[in-house]
Amino acid sequence: MNASSDLRAEAEALARQLPNLNFKAEASEAAHIGSAGRRRAGTGEQFWQYRRYAQEDAADRVDWRRSAKGHELFVRETELETARTVLFWCDPHAGFNWKGEGDIRTKADEARLLMLTLGIMMSKDGERIGALGAGRSPSFGRRAVDRLAEDISNGAGRPFPPPPRKSATLVIASDFYDPIPEWQARLKPLAARCPEGVLLAVAAPIELDFPFQGRVKLHRPGDLGERILGRAETLREDYQRKFAEQREALLALATQIGWRFVSHTTGTPSLHGAARLKLAVESFGARG
Amino acid sequence: MTVLGPFLFGAPLALFALLSLPVIWWVLRATPPAPKDVELPSLRLLEGVEPKEETPARTPWWVWLIRTLAAAAAIIGLSQPVYAPGARNEAPDAGGALLVVLDNGWPSAPRWSELIDAATATLDTGGRDAATHLLLTAPQTLNTDPAMRLSRADMAKRLSSLRPQSWSTDRTEALERLKASGLNPARIFWASDGIEEESGRAFAAALSAIAPLSVYAAPPAGPAAITGIASQTDSVSVTLRRVQSRGEERSFVSALTLDGSALATAEAVFDDGEREAVASFTIPAAALSRIARFTATGRQGAGTVWLWDSSNRSRRVGLVDAGSVAQPLLSDMHYVRKALEPFASITEGDIESLVSTSPDAIILTDIGQILPEDAKRLTEWVEEGGALIRFAGPHLAAQGDDLLPVALRRSSRALGGALAWDEPQAMAPFPSNSPFDGLSIPPDVRIKQQVLAKPAPDLARKTWARLADGSPLVTADSRGSGTLILFHITAGPDWSDLPYSGTFEHMLRRSIAAGRGESVSDAEGAYTPQLVLDGYGRLAAAGANAAPLKAADFGSVKPSEAHPPGLYQGPSGTRALNAGAGARPSLIEAWPPAARLLGDAEARSLRLAGPLLSLAAILLAVDLFIALLVAGHLPRLGRRTKGAAALLLVCALGFSLAPQADAQSYRYQQMPDASYRRVSTAPQVVPIAGPGRATQKEIDAALTMRFGYVETDNGALNERTRAGLSGLSSVLSLRTSVEPAEPDALNLETDALELYPLIYFNVSDNAPPLSATAIAKLNAYLRSGGALVIDTRAGGTVGTDTDVAPLETLLEGLDAPPLQPVPTNHVLARSFYLIDDFPGRFANRRLWIEKTGGPNAPRGDGVSRLFIGDADWASAWAVDSRGRDLYSVDGGPTQREMARRFGVNLVMYVLTGNYKDDQVHLPALLERLGNGDEEEADPRLPERLPEGGPQ
Repeated sequence: MNASSDLRAEAEALARQLPNLNFKAEASEAAHIGSAGRRRAGTGEQFWQYRRYAQEDAADRVDWRRSAKGHELFVRETELETARTVLFWCDPHAGFNWKGEGDIRTKADEARLLMLTLGIMMSKDGERIGALGAGRSPSFGRRAVDRLAEDISNGAGRPFPPPPRKSATLVIASDFYDPIPEWQARLKPLAARCPEGVLLAVAAPIELDFPFQGRVKLHRPGDLGERILGRAETLREDYQRKFAEQREALLALATQIGWRFVSHTTGTPSLHGAARLKLAVESFGARG
Repeated sequence: MTVLGPFLFGAPLALFALLSLPVIWWVLRATPPAPKDVELPSLRLLEGVEPKEETPARTPWWVWLIRTLAAAAAIIGLSQPVYAPGARNEAPDAGGALLVVLDNGWPSAPRWSELIDAATATLDTGGRDAATHLLLTAPQTLNTDPAMRLSRADMAKRLSSLRPQSWSTDRTEALERLKASGLNPARIFWASDGIEEESGRAFAAALSAIAPLSVYAAPPAGPAAITGIASQTDSVSVTLRRVQSRGEERSFVSALTLDGSALATAEAVFDDGEREAVASFTIPAAALSRIARFTATGRQGAGTVWLWDSSNRSRRVGLVDAGSVAQPLLSDMHYVRKALEPFASITEGDIESLVSTSPDAIILTDIGQILPEDAKRLTEWVEEGGALIRFAGPHLAAQGDDLLPVALRRSSRALGGALAWDEPQAMAPFPSNSPFDGLSIPPDVRIKQQVLAKPAPDLARKTWARLADGSPLVTADSRGSGTLILFHITAGPDWSDLPYSGTFEHMLRRSIAAGRGESVSDAEGAYTPQLVLDGYGRLAAAGANAAPLKAADFGSVKPSEAHPPGLYQGPSGTRALNAGAGARPSLIEAWPPAARLLGDAEARSLRLAGPLLSLAAILLAVDLFIALLVAGHLPRLGRRTKGAAALLLVCALGFSLAPQADAQSYRYQQMPDASYRRVSTAPQVVPIAGPGRATQKEIDAALTMRFGYVETDNGALNERTRAGLSGLSSVLSLRTSVEPAEPDALNLETDALELYPLIYFNVSDNAPPLSATAIAKLNAYLRSGGALVIDTRAGGTVGTDTDVAPLETLLEGLDAPPLQPVPTNHVLARSFYLIDDFPGRFANRRLWIEKTGGPNAPRGDGVSRLFIGDADWASAWAVDSRGRDLYSVDGGPTQREMARRFGVNLVMYVLTGNYKDDQVHLPALLERLGNGDEEEADPRLPERLPEGGPQ
């Protein structure tokens, strides 16, 4: 049992607790035709079944080739093929892969947990899932979840990925502490290709509270720079104000490119975060 | 050495380092404490935010104060300062050789450290390189040579290694040694005990004639010596002496046992103008005998210790424990113990353990037969000078042994009985050669019974006391260097009134005193040192230099190295040589005018380097902790950590105080024998005997009543006895409420006999004599109330007497009471059945039981413990496993039935004691009751009252 299988088990548990994903079928049908079979009759390319002709069926739906073999009329139905592609990305920065004193898991792990939960639910529903910038094409089924778990954990050292070739729904998880212009520059190309996306901001409780006192030397994991504060308690209000400003700016950026913004704290139950993330993804289906 | 006020500095240049203190201070002030190191990924948010207030760059004032103080203490400590107030007064150019004269006799011990301090302080004055010399005034082989040149450092080491001696100084001898060495010192320093006794003034004058003399005199304050002691039987007074006579002083004297525990403390008050004081102890004699020495409380030194030897001690007396005593107030020993308790220390035990402690006297009451081994031990002990005091009694009258001063007739003489013509006799005046001479004769004492000596030519010589008719009452004879003393009466009031009178006590005391040691001349023999006192008054084993001392020299010899104060072991106990005996110490009051006397403060110096450096180290350690705390390396110094620290502190304190607490957890308790023992008041753990201690056999025997039989070498006989007892047990179970379990075979030497109410001994032919252990166990069994049935199985025709000859060899040493045939109407014949014979396989045989009721009979409830016969009862009782009779009986079934009835009666008698005896009188009592009431008999009473059981 390693950390990733731990995460996987947690995610399965979370996915069981959440209600089924509910995309508005009509809307998505129009958007992505011919992607993946939904195992029921509907518009698609693959043959699904013949059924007897009913009165309300239009005449041109009769499959004459089949009907000619007997005395009854048959209608040929194809399999419904509606699927969306969801691509995930988790920030590999050392500052994101970090946990404060007393936290259960790192922020990155928390983000992966939420994304895996979502991925499990989607793959069950036949959506195609994958990791952004991993080089493997998105797929569905159990294997897809395995691949996703593998890929989103292996992003370390890679630059911020280029947009996918096909349009997809993106979930970008980070702590988003880099300045807003930087993020804007990164997200712009993605948003240009993919109109749907979610920003998942995960923070540790310490980062929210800034509980330091006295003489403190601070440094950011992964960076060389450090900063010595003489009396850390005097900076608490400034810090909290800055934090709030950053969040607001992020929300504004997400709205501007038509994406959703979901925030989560490692101290709070993961189920809440997963539910919010699911809601945000579902909302794209609802938008019609 | 540089002098700066009252301080001397060994390395004054180091003080220049103090100039760097401001720099250190500035550096410390500028260095802030290390910050706490923390990771924070969101630090980037704070880019561009400037803090409103930075940490003060200064260190907190108390931190730099601590650091500066530490630096200052280290610098000053390195300059090796010495606090010496007397240093100023010395001429700085007092170079040349310095002679240190040191009094190291016992009067120096109380203030020894001051003398050494004063001498060491003198070394700090004067030139550093001048030579020093040492002269010790207590005579000693290989004493230090004053001509030997010592450097100051060596001298300081030498001084601190010196110890006071336990004998006195001899200054004349010291002066001769100084002159013989030819030393010509430039200065002389005399650390003196200030006692005039050994020509102190003359010595000072002689020293000041040689060179300028400084004197530091430290005479002992308070009591200087214990000079004498006077003891009575239950009190001791100790004389203390002090050196000066001004003022009133109080001090205490403790009486200690040999192992150092204090038995008593008394106060001694020196009145103003008096040099002597007396501390009086009132201690019970028994406790007094345990005192080994007296010390002036809280003072060290050989002079204030007085060792107490054995020449003036109370006697140690051993009483032979005659087994368990059912009625202690009627016991003979009770009277002896009460008479001896006030003035002798008493131990009780068996002969073997008593002889091993070698008491002055051993007292035996009415013991007829002493075990052969014990008799041998007693004989050896008596021949080495012990006094064996014996009292007569029924046992002794029946059979005596050879540990008696005179030969006895084999019966006792009763005076004033129903069949005697004589009146009870009074005592005659004591013969003039008797140790009892001078004691008053109580006129109302009457002697009712005594054992009689066989007439012999020397009987008159051996007689210490006699009756009015001239028959001896107390006889004594010497055996080796010891004495055998026999009181011809019992120690209790059975035979005479003497134990009630006070004369009895005096006679006992004089017997013990006359018995032991008084004849040994004290002026003979040599005493070898056993324990000696060191200069501080502590006891130690005698060293190689201590030589034996002739007895005649005690009192005249002065303690010296060859004869140090201590305890000397000799032919008649121990003798003590005390340092303070007869000493008359007094102050040297007139010093020669040339001598300079140093006061206490001037003669003292204090080296400060060590304490200052330690202070610096402690401050730095504190600072280290503070730094760690500020930097957050000691996180969470919360309540828990503080609590733990407090706990540690308390533990450390507790450990340092623990020995005292231990030392107080006992007290002294007076034991029943009037001696004192140290009794621990700490909770005592009583070990519970594990299951392995008692064998299953013992447990079974204790839980279910059963008979035992003695296992012999003859297996067939054992089986016969077992079958017999088993048959008797089943008869008992059928007919009575006694339901014994299967009998046990007993090994007399190893098994626990006291668990069996009755032991059956079927004597085999040609049985070897029982071992001493077996006899001792049988004696103890009989004394504690057991019943022994001995069956010789000899049988015989009517009229032949019981042949007990084999028993005499078999049971040699058994403390057998006088025996008699069972009288008619004895309770044994009616305890259950009414029977008139006690047949076994053989009828009409005699059954011998203990003699009761007669004047010679022992006290008690009149129940015989011993049954001896030859009717072979066991064979008559014997049945096999199916209940069939095993052996033929002379008289057929009738006699077998009678044998069984006898068995039932015997067991009833053994188990119920004299209860059935009292039942014999029941008809008479009821008849008397009935006569008073009505003429008709009470209908509730049966017609015929049960006299026994069913017929």
